[in-house]
Amino acid sequence: MLCLADGAGSASHAEYGAQTVVDAGCALLVDRFEEFSTGEDAADAREIITRTLVSALEDTAQRVGCEVLDLASTFLAVAASADRFVVAHIGDGVIGYVKNGEMKVASAPDNAEFANETTFVTSSAAASSLRLFRGSLEAVSGFILMSDGASASLFDQRARTLAPACAKLISIVASAPARQSKNPEYKKRVKRVIDTQVRPATKDDCAIGILASR
Amino acid sequence: MALKIGADDLVENPTPRVPVSLCIDTSGSMLGDKIRELIDGVNLFYDAVDEDDDAHDAAEVSIVEFNSEATLIQDYASIERLERIEAIDPSGLTFLGEGVNLALDTLEKRKSVYSGSGVLYYQPWLVLMTDGQPNGSPAELERAIQRVTELVAAKKLTVFPIGIGGDADMAVLARFSPNRPPLRLQGLKFKEFFEWLSKSVSRVSRSTPGDTVKLDLEGLAGWAEL
Repeated sequence: MLCLADGAGSASHAEYGAQTVVDAGCALLVDRFEEFSTGEDAADAREIITRTLVSALEDTAQRVGCEVLDLASTFLAVAASADRFVVAHIGDGVIGYVKNGEMKVASAPDNAEFANETTFVTSSAAASSLRLFRGSLEAVSGFILMSDGASASLFDQRARTLAPACAKLISIVASAPARQSKNPEYKKRVKRVIDTQVRPATKDDCAIGILASR
Repeated sequence: MALKIGADDLVENPTPRVPVSLCIDTSGSMLGDKIRELIDGVNLFYDAVDEDDDAHDAAEVSIVEFNSEATLIQDYASIERLERIEAIDPSGLTFLGEGVNLALDTLEKRKSVYSGSGVLYYQPWLVLMTDGQPNGSPAELERAIQRVTELVAAKKLTVFPIGIGGDADMAVLARFSPNRPPLRLQGLKFKEFFEWLSKSVSRVSRSTPGDTVKLDLEGLAGWAEL
């Protein structure tokens, strides 16, 4: 299970909102994975996901002492079991995956007409703009989730394709040693690439999540 | 496993653009100090955008002049391709409606180019400057007012109507901007206005999704947030 949320710059408590939708989204997709990966009613699934996220945000708003709109953030998630996967996406950022060695886009940014407009979990159109995808994990070697800042270097707006660096990042995570260590070498290398090559293309903050199979 | 990621492995996305349309009155009444100050102001605007890291890559400016006709004297271009204005010879009447319609047509074409090439853009700006009363086709004027107000209502355009001096028809300018009153530029303060405009372009070009760009409104009474 991998989830990423990018808080809206304009929302005063977006960091709480992003944390909330990550926590609630992960729990929901794990709990109801079977239903979402095999069920027939996509509209119902959309409604359940957005309602769960907004309900969690309402609790957070009460706890923190702010409005729900102050918690605006995007939501990108991938859940995978032994043979199936589910992808859910609200807002901008990109979700990609590698299938048969080829980098593919699962869900592209949901930008409105203008560059500084997108849908957030707190938007009234969140349920209708939630993109849901699912499929077989056969020949799928990994997923990459990124915020809009990271997509400035990794997503080609014109061709609607992901950069080759995405497949490389997924493969490095796939081949990372299973043994846990505090600051493994592969992590340092990934960080170096992000800091020196991905970040300079944007003034926005960059977040990337990678889920890879061995 | 080695992690070799070079420039070829990344994509180069163009900076999202801020299209700015200057729609300016060059009728006979602009002769003298007004046109000189206006030209100096536009050139100063170019210089200020050129010197700003954010605005430099984002701003695209076009200029439509209107007198007894409407003419596109500068199609949308980034700051490096913009020619500094040497001189404009004011003459003729004030075909304001025709000028605004040409500016909007030019903007629509530019937006198509952006969409076709995958370039993101911010809400476009229309700066409308006149020192008199419109005396072109009344139908064209009404059509221009309707187009602008519909775009503003749909949050697809930000309009800055500016009256130059005491004879500008502020009532007509106000019809282009139902949400906030037009600004009367007193004492030909073009320099101050264009400095403010370049700073505002810079602020917009730094904004990210969800941001409501609040402009620095000090000294520009009547402006509201975008």
